[in-house]
Amino acid sequence: MNIFFELLINHIKNWNMVWFGLIFWGSVFNALAEKLGFLANSPNLTFLSFLIGFILGLIAKYRGTWLWKTS
Amino acid sequence: MENKLDNFSFANEKEIARSFSKRFQWEMVLIGLGQALVFFSLWPLVILEFIPLSIGAPIATLCALMAYLPSHEAQHGNYSRGKPSRRWIDSLVSHVSLITLMFPHHVMRATHMKHHAYTNDPQKDVDYDVASSKSLLEVFVRTNQSTAKYDKHLEVFKDDKNFVKSFEKGALVGLSYRGSLMALVFFFPLEALFLWWLPSKIGVLYLSTFFSWYPHYQMDIGRYKDTRFWHHLLPRYINHSMQLHFVHHLHPGIGHYDEPKAIEALKPFLIEKGVPGAEEIPDRVSYNPLIKL
Repeated sequence: MNIFFELLINHIKNWNMVWFGLIFWGSVFNALAEKLGFLANSPNLTFLSFLIGFILGLIAKYRGTWLWKTS
Repeated sequence: MENKLDNFSFANEKEIARSFSKRFQWEMVLIGLGQALVFFSLWPLVILEFIPLSIGAPIATLCALMAYLPSHEAQHGNYSRGKPSRRWIDSLVSHVSLITLMFPHHVMRATHMKHHAYTNDPQKDVDYDVASSKSLLEVFVRTNQSTAKYDKHLEVFKDDKNFVKSFEKGALVGLSYRGSLMALVFFFPLEALFLWWLPSKIGVLYLSTFFSWYPHYQMDIGRYKDTRFWHHLLPRYINHSMQLHFVHHLHPGIGHYDEPKAIEALKPFLIEKGVPGAEEIPDRVSYNPLIKL
């Protein structure tokens, strides 16, 4: 059980930005797109929203920050 | 000369400070629990469309701006004042008040104690990254960079068992905040964004600016040197009177709302000890004398 939690915590530590991008930003983009009627006719609106969130998270993970870096 | 030194002795300074460190800070309890109650009430009110999100979001942001100080008093044990039977008040107020900011109490308390012990130390002060920022833009970026700075300090203080223990406890609470936010955003995306995530970000930025940056900007290391008295163009209640933060670093037991009176009483000591900006402290620290355009 302890090993499971350790693995889980390590996974969250390493991949939290990606999960956050996918779930949080994906959900927000999806809701905003629906609300604003953006790409309203696209059947892949939800997929696109979550994909953008995922990509943002992935970029943040590899850069180590969501914003720009300071010296 | 000897007499003068006696008058300004640390024992005398401490005695005066102690006289302002006794009152129960009921205002802070009210603000801490009150803002949390308002914050929680906003969710059903907005989701059930009793009030629009455009009204709920600024109210949630105001709650976030008010959320830290009640916890800050608790981190210093200023509700219990050394009485073990009252420690639950410290815990309750701090845990509940910090929900709005998504901050875990244990991490805040542990890191804040280190901030007091090592103010402006580049390696050991957890707020040094913000305090050493050269502009407000840099404060913004550094505040929002990531939680990696906490990992760094976990490494720095790895031999301090209490620190590590508090940190681990807090990490679990932090994880549960993250989990709650993820669950909420899935069902109520815009509400999660505008009632919690964005207000908490604004609240943390406000904290970094007024609590960490302004008071400690370009200050030295050491008692009487690490925090300054400063002026601002806004009335002091807008920035939670952080112009007076230096007295908190000297005597953390003084309750926040008793700081103006304490500073009036301690002013000669502060000037004598060379607190940066002390000569400019007005004789009466009333509502607006700290404004400087």
